[in-house]
Amino acid sequence: MKRYNLLLQNIPDFVKHLQAQGEVLAPHTKGDNSFSFDKVTDANNVILDYNRTLQSIRKFFLPPTERLLNYSLTENTFTKVEIENNQRIFLGVHSYDMQAVLKLDFNFSDRTPEVNYLKRRENCTFIGVSFEPDDFHFSRSVGITVEATEGFDIFLNRHENGYEVQVLTERGEGIIKGFNALENAPELAETNRQFKNKIKFNHNRLPEVMEQSWKSPVWDEVAKRCVGCGTCNLVCPTCYCFNVVDNVDLSLKDGSRDRHWDGCMLNSFAAVAGGENFRETLASRQRHRIYRKFKYITDKTGDPWCVGCGRCAAYCTADISIVEIINQLSDEFEQNYLRKSAAPAEQII
Amino acid sequence: MTLSTQEHNPRELYYPEMAEITAIKQYTELEKWYEITLPGGRDLEHQPGQFAIFSLFGIGEAAISICSAPSKKGAFDICVRKVGMLTEKLHQLEIGQKIGVRGPFGTGFPVADFKGKDILIIGGGIGIVPLRSLINHVIDNRDDFGRLVILYGAKNPQELLFPDELQKWNDDPRIEYQVTVDQGSPEWQGNTGVITTLIPGLDLDLDNTIAAIVGPPIMYKFVLMALKSKRLPDENIYMSLERRMKCGVGKCGHCQINDSYVCLDGPVYHFPDIKNLPEAI
Repeated sequence: MKRYNLLLQNIPDFVKHLQAQGEVLAPHTKGDNSFSFDKVTDANNVILDYNRTLQSIRKFFLPPTERLLNYSLTENTFTKVEIENNQRIFLGVHSYDMQAVLKLDFNFSDRTPEVNYLKRRENCTFIGVSFEPDDFHFSRSVGITVEATEGFDIFLNRHENGYEVQVLTERGEGIIKGFNALENAPELAETNRQFKNKIKFNHNRLPEVMEQSWKSPVWDEVAKRCVGCGTCNLVCPTCYCFNVVDNVDLSLKDGSRDRHWDGCMLNSFAAVAGGENFRETLASRQRHRIYRKFKYITDKTGDPWCVGCGRCAAYCTADISIVEIINQLSDEFEQNYLRKSAAPAEQII
Repeated sequence: MTLSTQEHNPRELYYPEMAEITAIKQYTELEKWYEITLPGGRDLEHQPGQFAIFSLFGIGEAAISICSAPSKKGAFDICVRKVGMLTEKLHQLEIGQKIGVRGPFGTGFPVADFKGKDILIIGGGIGIVPLRSLINHVIDNRDDFGRLVILYGAKNPQELLFPDELQKWNDDPRIEYQVTVDQGSPEWQGNTGVITTLIPGLDLDLDNTIAAIVGPPIMYKFVLMALKSKRLPDENIYMSLERRMKCGVGKCGHCQINDSYVCLDGPVYHFPDIKNLPEAI
């Protein structure tokens, strides 16, 4: 692995170097205290020090609204939609969001590989950046460190005067080639980035906790506060459920079949024509959301499907915290299923 | 890290094939039967119990089970209750009009494993529709199977589907057909009562009988209890479940029962595989 040093004052030039090679997408400020991943038009507006973007980069591979096909109502025919896969460079991605993309790669290639998502994933370069965990991040509890480089072509590790540049792949080498404003790699002290927010148990024990939590009173407790707005689904980087809707132009001659992000927290999610709703209560929908992250896919892959970004809690309209839910379930599990004489639950970190 | 899509061989999953409605029968106020013909009379190549996703431009898509057996060539059948947006519009269509089709999707009844077995069909209400694909498969391959016992329950005589075929089932010496309605009418001469009232009187060869059950959610529990008191082994029971579906290919998330996707792992389930799924019924 090649290592360099990138000084803060050279970052705009680095962004311009990237722009010469493809579309660059990076964090920008949005409003007073939010951040958003958007196309870079001015290299000076890129923000590399940020806590989290409102949406993860999922939106570039599974857009909030995506046209699946166009049709003519007068002809009763349809035309296919071209899926673009231009060169794209994602700059300033946090480790947990990269991990989320790798998880979505699994979901969209598993069993019935989907061309819409997978084609958008072609021709992508990822440049990661370290972050300082805030009150909501808990990635370490799901096995993801700040400096985890899996999936990245280049990783930028913040230090006092700039970034240590780790070139991780051939693609990364190709991208950095010709950019001369790099210094020799700095000697870095061990980083000690602490997560304040923690899941009580090691994540590999959570499927066992979930196994015993189906009838837990915690679901009803959470449901008392939850308003079922679906914000947690909308901001989750590993949520990918969608609805498909036909939209007709005002002319009533043409229209499109579109897919939109959907959320399992919404009341109509499991309702069928005729009035049956297979997940009618908020408690059952909360449980489904949590099991999707810590049991169902985890049983198949061995990995939690939550990346600890903290978005669902940070943006929850009712201050519901996924970490609190997991910890309450873990407490119950400890009280009900672990013998008092057994060794205390393994703490992480 | 970029992704090489070639290694995954991704497919275009959401483009329908335009098929033609070639016959229509109105059975009840709410239910119509359609024969659908794919371009060139191509077979859908489905298994009994599978479904497809049908679409009308400007309205949307809906998952509907196929009610003809694979032995019907050149076209296939669906029977549709007018209950939602798509089915409302579908009911207005006429012969010669076109409808989008994707599929077939999901699991069918494992008919190869049923060979030599007695087949017990238990259909409640519109549940008889997907079961008709299995019934017709057995009828068309009659010597491959043992007894064919059909129990059919409906709310009232007016809601009985496939009336022309019910008479044939009744008259066929190789079919043991029983029907019941929850509420009779002055003209109704047959059984009244829920479908479970037909089960205690059955004389079943327990080790050699396969039960295929489809009906409204409320029906399953009572039918399963009735079969349990007959001591029919769980391994001999298959059922088909309904869920909301938007993709048919295990992506959109709507049809999930716990960790099972009804569109991939169902709609036809082997009962032992779902009896521990709390959300199943």
